[in-house]
Amino acid sequence: MAYSLPLLLTHDPPSGARLINSAAEAGLVAQLQQGSEAAFRTLVERYQDQIYRTVFSLLRSPEEAEDVAQEVFVEVYQTIGRFRGDAALSTWLYRLATSRALKNRQKARAKKRFAYFTSLLGFDNDVLHEVPDHAHPLALLEGQQQLRLLFDHIARLPDQQQVAFTLRHEQELSYEEIAAVLTTTVPAVESLLFRARQTLRKHLKSHACHV
Amino acid sequence: MSDSVARPRSDEEWETLMHQLHNRPKARPQPFFYTRLHARLTADAAAKSPLFPAWLRRPAYVALLGALVITLSGDGSALRPAAEINHCATCPISR
Repeated sequence: MAYSLPLLLTHDPPSGARLINSAAEAGLVAQLQQGSEAAFRTLVERYQDQIYRTVFSLLRSPEEAEDVAQEVFVEVYQTIGRFRGDAALSTWLYRLATSRALKNRQKARAKKRFAYFTSLLGFDNDVLHEVPDHAHPLALLEGQQQLRLLFDHIARLPDQQQVAFTLRHEQELSYEEIAAVLTTTVPAVESLLFRARQTLRKHLKSHACHV
Repeated sequence: MSDSVARPRSDEEWETLMHQLHNRPKARPQPFFYTRLHARLTADAAAKSPLFPAWLRRPAYVALLGALVITLSGDGSALRPAAEINHCATCPISR
């Protein structure tokens, strides 16, 4: 296996992003592939905050974020043998996290639609209650309605735009890193972010005009 | 709602909002995330490597397998027609 990983910029504490050299990461991957539990623990402790935060940004539910973040690491544990180092480990983790979060959300929406239709048909259904509104803790604590409104509109963006916006503005990833996660180009990321910002600004403005 | 102060109508307000987004406290998993993850992995592993395969742990399959074993065991007398079973080789042939 060739470990030709470039230097990685990790984002664990946003205050102090640090460089981890490729050899160290390759070593960690090699240990993981040999089934080292210590290496797995190191990986989890290094990335758990970033993965949890990414998933939380897309789902806005602490319980679901915990569950999906666990699923991501279970998948890493089970499939690390197939990791070839074509992308950085963090890129692979972000890909797993975003795709699992989006899948989870699609399932939840489908469930909600099904519950709605069955309620229209008059079947007894236990899932008729509204899914609780998990507002961001800060928005709840400080009553920052503007942030809350922003989160609501971010959740309505198309998937790709939402992931790009979240990775850029909440995870503070570079355009290159976002492009790697989304397996696209930097100009495509710029376009996604431009459209996302335009949409958000338009909706926030129109909301302000209507009230 | 009359909190028009909080709504972005200009670039400056948008920038302020983005600033708030960047500076808000970061969400973190509950403590002992690894412990819970480890427990989940252990439970998954235990569920995936039982003594018998999953299909064999279903009652219908167990019953079917048991019936098959009983049917095929011994000399297969259960499958033989009654007339043939009653046939006695040492008895004189009744004509």
